[in-house]
Amino acid sequence: MPNRKDDMYGDHISHQFNDDLSSLKNDFLKMGGLVEQQTIDAVNALIDGDGQAADEIRARDKVVDKMEMDLDEEAIRLIARRQPAARDLRFVISVIKMVADLERVGDEAKKIAKFGLTLAEEGQAPRGYVEVRHIANHVTSMLHDALDAFSRLDAEQALRVMKEDKRVDEEYQAAARTLLTFMMEDSRSISRCMAVMWVLRALERVGDHACNIAENVIYMVEGEDVRHTPVEEAEKLVGR
Amino acid sequence: MNSINSTIPGDATMPEKAPLAVEDPVTEERRETVEIEEGKTVGIPFSDNPKFALRNVEVSYGDTRAIRNISLDIARNEVIAFIGPSGCGKSTFLRCLNRMNDSIDTCRVKGSLMLDGDDIYDPRRDVVELRARVGMVFQKPNPFPKSIYENVAYGPRIHGLANRKSDLDEIVESSLRKAGLWDEVKDRLDATATGMSGGQQQRLCIARAIAVSPEVILMDEPCSALDPIATAKVEELIAEMSESYTIVIVTHSMQQAARVSHRTAYFHLGHLVEVNETNKVFTAPEHELTESYITGRFG
Amino acid sequence: MSNSSSQVEIVRQSLRRRYRKERRFRMYGIAAIAVALLSLFILFADIIGKGYTGFLKTTVTLEVELDGDTMYLEDPTNPDEIAMADFTAPIIAALQTHFPEAEGSAANRELARLVGSYAASDIRDLLEANPDLLGTIQTMEFLAHDTVSVYVKHADNPRYTVRLSERQQQWVDELMEKGVIETGFNDILFSKGDSREPANAGILSAIVGSLLTMFVTLVISFPVGVAAAVYLEEFAPQNRLTDFIEVNINNLAAVPSIIFGLLGLAVFIGLFGMPRSVPVVGGLVLALMTVPTIIISSRAAIKSVPPSIREAAEGIGASRMQVVLHHVVPLAMPGMLTGSIIGMAQALGETAPLLLIGMVAFIVDVPDGLFDAATVLPVQIYLWASSAEQGFIELASAGIMVLLTFMISMNALAIWLRKRLERRW
Repeated sequence: MPNRKDDMYGDHISHQFNDDLSSLKNDFLKMGGLVEQQTIDAVNALIDGDGQAADEIRARDKVVDKMEMDLDEEAIRLIARRQPAARDLRFVISVIKMVADLERVGDEAKKIAKFGLTLAEEGQAPRGYVEVRHIANHVTSMLHDALDAFSRLDAEQALRVMKEDKRVDEEYQAAARTLLTFMMEDSRSISRCMAVMWVLRALERVGDHACNIAENVIYMVEGEDVRHTPVEEAEKLVGR
Repeated sequence: MNSINSTIPGDATMPEKAPLAVEDPVTEERRETVEIEEGKTVGIPFSDNPKFALRNVEVSYGDTRAIRNISLDIARNEVIAFIGPSGCGKSTFLRCLNRMNDSIDTCRVKGSLMLDGDDIYDPRRDVVELRARVGMVFQKPNPFPKSIYENVAYGPRIHGLANRKSDLDEIVESSLRKAGLWDEVKDRLDATATGMSGGQQQRLCIARAIAVSPEVILMDEPCSALDPIATAKVEELIAEMSESYTIVIVTHSMQQAARVSHRTAYFHLGHLVEVNETNKVFTAPEHELTESYITGRFG
Repeated sequence: MSNSSSQVEIVRQSLRRRYRKERRFRMYGIAAIAVALLSLFILFADIIGKGYTGFLKTTVTLEVELDGDTMYLEDPTNPDEIAMADFTAPIIAALQTHFPEAEGSAANRELARLVGSYAASDIRDLLEANPDLLGTIQTMEFLAHDTVSVYVKHADNPRYTVRLSERQQQWVDELMEKGVIETGFNDILFSKGDSREPANAGILSAIVGSLLTMFVTLVISFPVGVAAAVYLEEFAPQNRLTDFIEVNINNLAAVPSIIFGLLGLAVFIGLFGMPRSVPVVGGLVLALMTVPTIIISSRAAIKSVPPSIREAAEGIGASRMQVVLHHVVPLAMPGMLTGSIIGMAQALGETAPLLLIGMVAFIVDVPDGLFDAATVLPVQIYLWASSAEQGFIELASAGIMVLLTFMISMNALAIWLRKRLERRW
């Protein structure tokens, strides 16, 4: 297949159309960057027990929500005025879906920050933070890679992100088992461990959203819907 | 491009494997050239139940080759849309299907064009009979400057389809009904057709085509002179007619092709580049040229 | 800001210049039209000014005593006596009742020359038809003598010379006062043929001759022209032969009309031995001349039929023939008719070719068929215009007016037909 990545947004006869598509892409990446940062900050605030940072993160979620609404409006306007077709249509529709995912990631970050606040108030180095940090690193890099795949229109990389999701799930299962052990060992730590469990759960959700974004990137680039498709089959579809 | 092409002898029986570099004048500087393989069409050009079976069709005007080795099936009761930039040959190809190109002296058609297994270009074939089976609706509404009744009755009359006045009345009424025009004109059948609105005129032309009970209706940009409301009515009509007729429609409006057709064929510089389910063409076309055209990158 | 205001100033300056230019250009156009209208006006004024008297006749109304003694006539049924009788005598007697002082043979002669030379034969015709009237007194209207007519109509026109003696002028003046000499509508112009005497000359035979000739022309040139045009436009293959034919038709339209006259003389009269100066030959010659015009205008009319109509008919399976007969020709008909009528109008005004085939003869009788010697309007005008008698000048002008009326009504008919039949699509 010839290289069509250079003119994903450009090369229309209408320059205004080019500009509209590019600005939609840039705004989306801006939102993606913010959400990614929110997640990292939330995990850091949690681990550092920094209540103030957690508060700031919760406040910044408003910005994310605003961005979601703006992007949706931009995309709807583009559909109404340009009637995009083929790859342009796939691009706009994917953005609308991915924006929803990003917003949910933002919500998860807020949730993490909230638990961070609770945990920070209780002070004392909690258990399970190693696992949290590990999974957090994993899912934020997935999110980063998914966004990167979007910006570079790289279906291969998006496919790798999809594969990563399985491993995140496994890690989550392992971490959950570990925390369960802690709880059985020391019943006083149950409420704290439960909070950490929720954080882990939120991080796992972030991984799922990153995976959704990756699926949308594949649809956008290749025109193949790989949702609810085993990764092996998706691989075949992309490789074609 | 032409020089490469003219060195290849036109062989109607064997698709040539010479890749062609197609440069679009508008975007020439910006885009790398895209290769079109002559005679190769991506997608699903063939059908199990073809009304038309067209193989290795070549059309030329004097030295200019307007259609280059196209093979395509048009299925029974399907609506197929031909799209492509101006001068891509879609209208020329459409007009081959009922030999409307015959009146152009320099026009030569090669290849095999079969309608229900009969050769369209058989020299013994009466073109009048062919056109009674394959009706046509044109770009500009072109009613005869006669009454509404006479417009519809003309076809059945010259083909001798009605012997009595009452039969003719019946044909006129049912044709106008099928064209969704009966209620609008039943009280003024004797009024002159040129006094109608553009949309009504076009539907009258459709009624006129239906009146000779054709099997296929060819439409050459039928809505290009109509406003959106009239266009919507004609499109609605196309949808209804697709139950009983095979419809081939050439259109410049991609949205229209997307709305009315089952399959869409994309023509480019005389090549048939891609034929696919309309849903597929407008969401994820296979060929890059199709995609460029659909998304408004040239054309 | 200053920049833009100076720009506005520049634009304003140039606008003024532009408006001046436009005004000037408009003036040229108006001037051109004015010149055209003026020349037309002068032409019409001159013709009408000279010619309106052609529509007037001068009559002398007398109480004539049909006395057998003065006429030396006893039995009007006897042809010998009729031949010998003097029918001028009662007229002189009648005039003498007005002028008792006029006596003697010189005075008698002068009195007799107040009425036209056909006056005596009028009385003879009357008596021949009604012998009983002998001995009665009849009120009769005679045409005045040519010289009297000129005197009555043009006494103060320096271009005419009055050929009446002093005494005669006095008499005429007196008779006019008494209402004996009157002018009235010249019905003779439209009821008689040519004559040596202007007062008795009419244009009817020329009109009938023209109508017969035009009939032949129309019957031949219209079908031939339209058929040729339809064939060339719709059926003829595009090749050298048709190109050659096309070029020749265009050339034929530009051939001087006198050549057609020569052709007619050589072919119709020389080769086929048809009689000279008959409408049928004239019509054939004019038809030859008109056919190229009709072909050209008909082809233009056919070409102007929108191809969409042709396609529409072909699209529902009409054959080539049906397309042409049902759609193209009816739609082109107004244009064809217009072209034909204009071609006919041109033929109506044609003189040169008809001179050559002998339609220049002196024709008194109204022709009663296509093979009867005839003349046509323009030729009649030509003949009168070159006659010596003074009275023919105004007749020629009157003839021109009649001819122009015919042409204008033909053109008006063409315009009306076009407006009436032309369809919008």
